[in-house]
Amino acid sequence: MAHFLGRRALHSGIALIGLILAVFFLVRLTGDPTALYLPIDASLQTRIEFAKKHGFDRPATEQFLVFLKDVSEGDLGYSLRKQRPAMELVLEAYPTTLALAGVAMTLSIVLAVIVGALAAYRPGGVFDRVGSMASLAGASAPDFWVAITGILVFAVTLRWLPTSGTGDLPYWILPIVVLMLRPFGLMVQVVRASMLGALSSAYVKTARAKGVGETAVIFVHALRNASLSVVTVAGDLTVGLINGAVIVETVFGWPGVGKLMIDSVIQRDFPTVQAAVMVTATAIFLLNILIDLLYVALDPRIRHQ
Amino acid sequence: MSTAEQEALIIRRRSSWWQLLLRDRFALVAALWLICLFACFLFGPELFGKAATTLNLRARNMPPGSTEQGWLMILGGDALGRSILARLIVAARNTLAIALSAVFLAMIAGAVLGMIAGYFGRGIGHVIMRFADILQSFPSLLLAVVVLYVLEPSVPNLIIVLAITRLPVYLRVTRAEVLEIRERVFVDAARALGSSRYHILRRHITPVIAPTLLTILTVDFSIVMLAESGLSFLGIGIQPPEITWGLMVAQGRNYLSQAWWLAFFPGLAIMLATLSGNILSNWLRIVSDPEQRWRLEAPGKNDA
Amino acid sequence: MKQKTIAFELRSSRLLVGAAALAAVFGVTAGVQSAQAQKTVTVVLSEEPEGLDGCNSNRSTVGRVAKQNIVETLTEIDPKDGSITPRLATSWSKINDTTWRFELRKGVKFHDGASLNAETASKAIARTMDSKLDCETRTKSFGDLKLSTKAVGSHTLEISANKPVPILPTRMGVVSLSSPNTSMDKLVLNPIGTGPYVFDKWTPGQEIVLKRFDGYWGKKPVVEGARYIWRSESTVRAAMVKVGEADIAPNIAVQDATDPSMDFSYPNSETTRLRIDVTRPPLNDKRVRLALEYAFDRDALRGSILSKDIEHATQIVVPSINGHNPAIKVRKYDPAEAQKLIAEAKAAGVPVDTEIEIIGRTNIYPNGTEAMEAMMAMFQAAGLKMKLRMMEVGSWLKYLSKPYDENRAPILLQAQHDNNNGDAVFSIFNKYACGGLQSSICDKNLDAMVAKAGTLSGDERRKTWQEVNRVINEDLVADVWMYHMVGYSRVGNRINFTPSISTNSELHLEDMTFK
Repeated sequence: MAHFLGRRALHSGIALIGLILAVFFLVRLTGDPTALYLPIDASLQTRIEFAKKHGFDRPATEQFLVFLKDVSEGDLGYSLRKQRPAMELVLEAYPTTLALAGVAMTLSIVLAVIVGALAAYRPGGVFDRVGSMASLAGASAPDFWVAITGILVFAVTLRWLPTSGTGDLPYWILPIVVLMLRPFGLMVQVVRASMLGALSSAYVKTARAKGVGETAVIFVHALRNASLSVVTVAGDLTVGLINGAVIVETVFGWPGVGKLMIDSVIQRDFPTVQAAVMVTATAIFLLNILIDLLYVALDPRIRHQ
Repeated sequence: MSTAEQEALIIRRRSSWWQLLLRDRFALVAALWLICLFACFLFGPELFGKAATTLNLRARNMPPGSTEQGWLMILGGDALGRSILARLIVAARNTLAIALSAVFLAMIAGAVLGMIAGYFGRGIGHVIMRFADILQSFPSLLLAVVVLYVLEPSVPNLIIVLAITRLPVYLRVTRAEVLEIRERVFVDAARALGSSRYHILRRHITPVIAPTLLTILTVDFSIVMLAESGLSFLGIGIQPPEITWGLMVAQGRNYLSQAWWLAFFPGLAIMLATLSGNILSNWLRIVSDPEQRWRLEAPGKNDA
Repeated sequence: MKQKTIAFELRSSRLLVGAAALAAVFGVTAGVQSAQAQKTVTVVLSEEPEGLDGCNSNRSTVGRVAKQNIVETLTEIDPKDGSITPRLATSWSKINDTTWRFELRKGVKFHDGASLNAETASKAIARTMDSKLDCETRTKSFGDLKLSTKAVGSHTLEISANKPVPILPTRMGVVSLSSPNTSMDKLVLNPIGTGPYVFDKWTPGQEIVLKRFDGYWGKKPVVEGARYIWRSESTVRAAMVKVGEADIAPNIAVQDATDPSMDFSYPNSETTRLRIDVTRPPLNDKRVRLALEYAFDRDALRGSILSKDIEHATQIVVPSINGHNPAIKVRKYDPAEAQKLIAEAKAAGVPVDTEIEIIGRTNIYPNGTEAMEAMMAMFQAAGLKMKLRMMEVGSWLKYLSKPYDENRAPILLQAQHDNNNGDAVFSIFNKYACGGLQSSICDKNLDAMVAKAGTLSGDERRKTWQEVNRVINEDLVADVWMYHMVGYSRVGNRINFTPSISTNSELHLEDMTFK
């Protein structure tokens, strides 16, 4: 186990460095940020001075050496756009992203397992038709459409909820519902599909023959057998959320890392893009290690390779 | 069994597939809808290209449900008074071409890499999985900006960007299932009988993982279409005068409080295409699964 | 195996309990927070300011919060007619072509207790002009013009420039004065000025709070404090004011301005146009350029996809700017004339079949993409081959400024220009002179006139700029003129506030009162 974790951490570390290298050089292919930082009417002289001062005129390899030197001194870059250290911006935004992702994924997984399993129990039945169609419709609806319609209905017309912003419980409801649509819808489908296979497997038949109750058959025997792909897909969806929930952050004004990343890419704020990737990638790599451990816990036949 | 008898059996089975489809109303409607979309894909731009681009500022944001300005305006007019219906039909080609190519590309590449990672194990598997980690952690928007800024913002480039962002999920799912399946008894048996790795992957493993992949695939259609919509909104993806459903959704976004139909109908088109694909693939799965087929064959059982 | 199963059962039941608890928690709905009872206002902006340093206050995102609220300027430009009024300076006089003398207001204190005098003002100006800092006031409005200061009395300041500046008092209207204790090495996030409001706190991503300054030199404003929040969707901003979560949304899209009791339109000093690339055939032919002007049905976009309150433009500056020429006529929509001109050009051997590209920028102004689609269709109707390319800002900028791509196609560039600084000088050079970074034309006569206008003052200056604008429109035909734009503000029922042309860049809390 320790051996597995150690090697895995090493591999992940190497991959992380590769990723940061890739991001560093690729982001610099998207153009010189000088024109975006300076006002449109800035003179040529001003532009040249600005590019020189901030090193935008130097080749990317040279900029990379400077970056390495700064990182070795604990400086992960400064956001010219926000006039603050880039890592500070990211770490400030990340708790919001994690909170949204945590709540939305927990609720999605729990609900999707229940709905998906019940749907698979009688495929083609009423519950299956209604449950899986509704969840799928939700998953394929444009999320900002749901978000803004939600605000217009529940905040403006009915006045039950606040329009946007962060705060106590009522502020969470619309963002979380919007955020859950896709993970919930996709997971219902995956749970249902995996369960269909599992329910007709010899394993479940044996359990039934042994007189195990139906609830236990569904939620224990079959679900466990189906859990590998469910865990994998849940992992992928979680990755999507810890990369930032752009629409929810944008529409509801939740200051998370998704909007920060978009703005930074569009505004060519390279240090912030790099810092954001470092943080989100670390979270994703950790999550993937966790998922691999889960595989083993769920199915001991899968050994650590 | 003689050859003639076998042929008779095949014919009977074929006709019974057709009968089964006729009997399942959901699947039938889904199939018809997809045929309709396919027709739009083939002929839409040629038949309705002009109607979809002709401005008519008098019919600007015209609400749906009226045929005063011709039946093409039944779903209303957009911000420039163009027929939403005509635009939906014309946009079907770009939309389906992009979504289908991106999703299938992602699935095939992901499945192949996943099988290699899951079955061949050790070294190559580690490399592939860490590569997947990198792909997942690389901001998809940055990827889009890089590709579309450095290269041209063309449809093939957009497909590549979208396919790369969707690849990891197929890779991981395939690998996870392969890890489990290769330990199953029947695979062990095949191996003991001396089947080649390729044979085992193709004959024994692919059929087991295919249903899960196809399930993800149908939902991914909508995810890809909406991702494309998001890119258009930011000015990176497909831009006017090209049309896709995603672009229509993105353009309608600003009018949600005044003219909901601008974003609603293209959104609905995405939803219906996804739902139909899903219903039909579920149906196909049951039909082709001997263990499940009885559900459809038992009369009355499926009418619920 | 058995044990494993039980463990899993436990795990899943724990999950279920957790779900039930969360569902219970989320099933509760609570009342919605309404507008504050106190005398403070909440302003919902479209984006978070990038910083708040006083020397960036002529960037609109910063200016809306800071300018004349936290930091003030020596002079103030009256948005209605471009005239100059005193603010921190009480009077000024010209010493010679390059030097002006300003008398500073006495008894003015910065929020940190420092006094405003010739020395502190001098330090603040020096900070703004320092190339070590990327102050937008310098990079946007001063270009290669350098200022130096000299204290000639306790409250008398002489400001000199490296070249003649006939309108220095106008230019000083964009220079905000920060406290002498402000860092001279880097931009700050907590501006300290002399204004009626003190910067209180900034919770990144969430809000900025200002409080009334008790030691303010001027009239005590009614509003006791302000809270700034930001939402990028116009629909959401409008909804927030509607339900009372915010008092003012300075900027909402035209399609969200549906409530006449709350929504006000105001000219926002922006002028929109298509810049014609006059060097590339067929656009190097004046007839083709004129044809574009005649083929554009200006009335069709007004009141449909763009606001009904926009005005037809004929030049780069809005009517309140010194140098605007009211005599230039709007070209009437005349498709027959357009077709005739193109036919003439064709007969003269101009390659009118060449594909012309419209380069647009997404989200440049509300419904900007639709406007480009419509204009493309109009030009096509006149018989020209058009191609529309909408792009994100970074790609679009490559086309906006020199150096231009040598292999470019003939281009019409979607552009928007904002000048509320009182004088045409801030617009013309960059856009039309041979040396202008965004100029697509190079005309020796025009250059001479522009250079001359820059040295004049008063009536002569105005007349020269007016002639410059006439030449650009009538002789050179360098643009397809679109509109002088308007913005929309939604103002809640609780307060009195009328948006004006400066609302786009400044939002004076002192002008607001409660009903």
